[in-house]
Amino acid sequence: MLTDSRSQKWELPQIEKPINIIVGGYGSGKSEVSVNLARYLALDKTFVNRPISILDLDIVNPYFRSREASVELEKLGIGSINPEGAEFYADLPIILPQIRGAIETAEGTVICDVGGDDVGARVLSSLAGSFHAATYDMVLVLNLSRPFTSNVAGCLKTISEIEFSSRLKFSGIISNTHLMDDTNEEIVLSGIALSKEVSKQTGLKLWFVSAEQKILNIIESAYIDIPVLPLNRSLLKPWE
Amino acid sequence: MAKILMKGNEAIAEAAIKAGGNNYFCYPITPQTEVAEYLAKRMPEVGGVFLQGESELAVANMIFGAAATGKRVFTTSSSPGISLMQEAISYMAGAELPCVIVNIMRGGPGLGGILPAQSDYFQSVKGGGHGDYRLLVLAPSTVQEAVDLMMLSFHLADKYSNPVMMIGDGMIGQMMEPVEFPDVYEEPELPEKTWAITGAKGRKPRVVRSLFLDPNKLENNSWHLYDKYELMKKNEVRFEKYKVNDKNEILIVSYGTMARICQTAIDEIEKEGVSIGLFRPISLFPFPQDDIFTEASKKNIKNVLVIEMSTGQMIEDVERAVVGKKKVTFFGRTGGIVPSPEEVIKKIKEMVSKKSKTKKKA
Amino acid sequence: MNTDEKTIFARPEGMTDIVTHYCPGCTHGIIHRLAAEAIDSLGIRENTVGVAPVGCSVLAYNYFNCDFLESPHGRAPAIATGFKRLRPDMIVFTYQGDGDLISIGMSEIMHAANRGEKLTAIFVNNAIYGMTGGQMAPTTLQGQITSTCPSGRDLNETGHPIRMTELLSGLVTPMYLERVSVHSPKHIIQAKKAIRKAFQYQIDNKGFSLVEVLSTCPTNWGQTPNESTDWLEGNMIPYYPLGCFKDSFADEDK
Repeated sequence: MLTDSRSQKWELPQIEKPINIIVGGYGSGKSEVSVNLARYLALDKTFVNRPISILDLDIVNPYFRSREASVELEKLGIGSINPEGAEFYADLPIILPQIRGAIETAEGTVICDVGGDDVGARVLSSLAGSFHAATYDMVLVLNLSRPFTSNVAGCLKTISEIEFSSRLKFSGIISNTHLMDDTNEEIVLSGIALSKEVSKQTGLKLWFVSAEQKILNIIESAYIDIPVLPLNRSLLKPWE
Repeated sequence: MAKILMKGNEAIAEAAIKAGGNNYFCYPITPQTEVAEYLAKRMPEVGGVFLQGESELAVANMIFGAAATGKRVFTTSSSPGISLMQEAISYMAGAELPCVIVNIMRGGPGLGGILPAQSDYFQSVKGGGHGDYRLLVLAPSTVQEAVDLMMLSFHLADKYSNPVMMIGDGMIGQMMEPVEFPDVYEEPELPEKTWAITGAKGRKPRVVRSLFLDPNKLENNSWHLYDKYELMKKNEVRFEKYKVNDKNEILIVSYGTMARICQTAIDEIEKEGVSIGLFRPISLFPFPQDDIFTEASKKNIKNVLVIEMSTGQMIEDVERAVVGKKKVTFFGRTGGIVPSPEEVIKKIKEMVSKKSKTKKKA
Repeated sequence: MNTDEKTIFARPEGMTDIVTHYCPGCTHGIIHRLAAEAIDSLGIRENTVGVAPVGCSVLAYNYFNCDFLESPHGRAPAIATGFKRLRPDMIVFTYQGDGDLISIGMSEIMHAANRGEKLTAIFVNNAIYGMTGGQMAPTTLQGQITSTCPSGRDLNETGHPIRMTELLSGLVTPMYLERVSVHSPKHIIQAKKAIRKAFQYQIDNKGFSLVEVLSTCPTNWGQTPNESTDWLEGNMIPYYPLGCFKDSFADEDK
């Protein structure tokens, strides 16, 4: 995995702020991106802003959350704050008090994996006071294959809805267009094109593109001119 | 239309709209609430009806009233909510009103949990509410199949003037998969809804009811419904076979996403030279009983293995289908635990090794 | 044949010519007729659907000459909501008793009223369960004897009878709420006006209306028809005062 990342053809993403809030529509791939980003930073020996921790703020969706990968992440020294015992599995809107603390002290680098859409991003609003005190980047994960973000207008609508419900401002975009196992080169590249257009119209920085390593392997390096985060899927279905 | 990535719950919602089912009543419950959230956005766009009721009890009755208009209506819920809907479901079956009900099942009994389960098989297939009635029950195993079966559900509901239930475990509702929708949903012609409540203009008043105080009339209605269910058994049995052939030692019977886990297990164990076939019922009522009998009766099949995310419900129908011809074994996990392919392989290996031991003794 | 003969009283078109099953002295027949007359006078019969309850009026669909739905016990407001949301162009009314509307159907009526469903609810209160043979209802008066409170209703055990129209008038959304009675011709005329108004409000798309009609049950009260009208006047009206509790468009009417 580490070799995959190091040997890749493209520049890797640069993480600058202590707090990185990963937001997007349902199914944009926020959790997978968050887990992979945390893993990449943990494995990158040149990255100094440590420790790395991941906060699962997805209180909307009880399935396929980043907390499912917490055991694996822990082995890499990545911290996480999850409800304990039975509450780990709950669909209750549990925001542990430690989360507020983790944001306010922002030790090292914190990745916040937020629930989908404006509905999922509403939880940020309850923590807005803590975020305003910290230095954060809020980035939008875009997936062109999802119904509400399949065009620029849809993306702009999603951006304004999430900014409204979260009371925070976006600073960047992650292009994560995929169609699960049906993803191909064309899908990834058209996703980048859409993200560039959204970036142009909003002034938000296009942070990086993320895609599964096996797809990246078949894309020619000249086709991508932004940083790339290769994904190794962690949140799998039981038969995968 | 190009493929898009959708969560099962959203795909079910969009499929309903594609099939003209743009009248939806709901009450929030995990793990299917995204259907409601999706439709709260979509229904205004398509000029449909969206209403969040005060309880599943009320919602199912709203569906009853709405179905009486003759328009396509549906609701979605999860296990405890579906229990609350049983009253109206029985009334609609009695009054022969078409509607579609989706159950994205979670673990029970009682409040249970929120993770996937298949423990509402009995409730869906064997009645659920009171009286002599059946629902037509369909069980998809992929998001794409959920889309296809959702559209088909509306058609079958109208064809038989009967509530149709689509059941999927929580996984079907929550997982993301690429799906494709037809540009136009084409379906065979349906009978005119001569029972629809439209106002007694230029005709005698119509009554939609399930009350027949005269026992002879109630019996007639029940036998009339029975005939309809027999017709479903004749026309609407649906299933899929995976790697079923004359080398199979074991026939697995499994439905929904559980069947996909079985497929992975079958592929894995095939590498070790063990041949297993999978029979996946798609219609749970009507149950593909004759076809299971045919497959299970074949000489090469030593054992039938039923795998469910429950403590064993469909197994009773499989046993009934196999009529004692072959041994029927069960494996299941429940309460939100999804069996892994490894667990299924372990179970198969146990059965295969037991058999070889018996052989040696003989 | 006397050519001077003129029809001054006939069966409303809104009613069928089937003889009702109601007991002598029961006022369901009068209330049915008032609803049918309102439907006739407003010319809406061909565009109206009624929702029958579970209770003595369970067979109401046999007596009204319009389309009907037979509801599960207490769920008429939910059934009516589902129908009306899909057919806002049609007139929908529920006809419910006190067990149906207040006891088992409390949730459905409160929420339909609170959502402001464009429905007309005719609520018949006779302080007892008629259909099942005279059991205690949420409206049974203090001390009133029924088969499930054989020593008379004990408020310590069962709480006070529910004044539904007052309860509904605590909600902001309902538009028109009135309690009437049909124990005397004078009161019947008042009831007729109220029921007609409740339908008119729906035609004008004004919102939710409910008319509570105090009614008798000679059979289960164990009284003659005359005794039962006297009992209604002497016992029910003091606890269930007649009058309009809410009329959001009262000024418009003047």
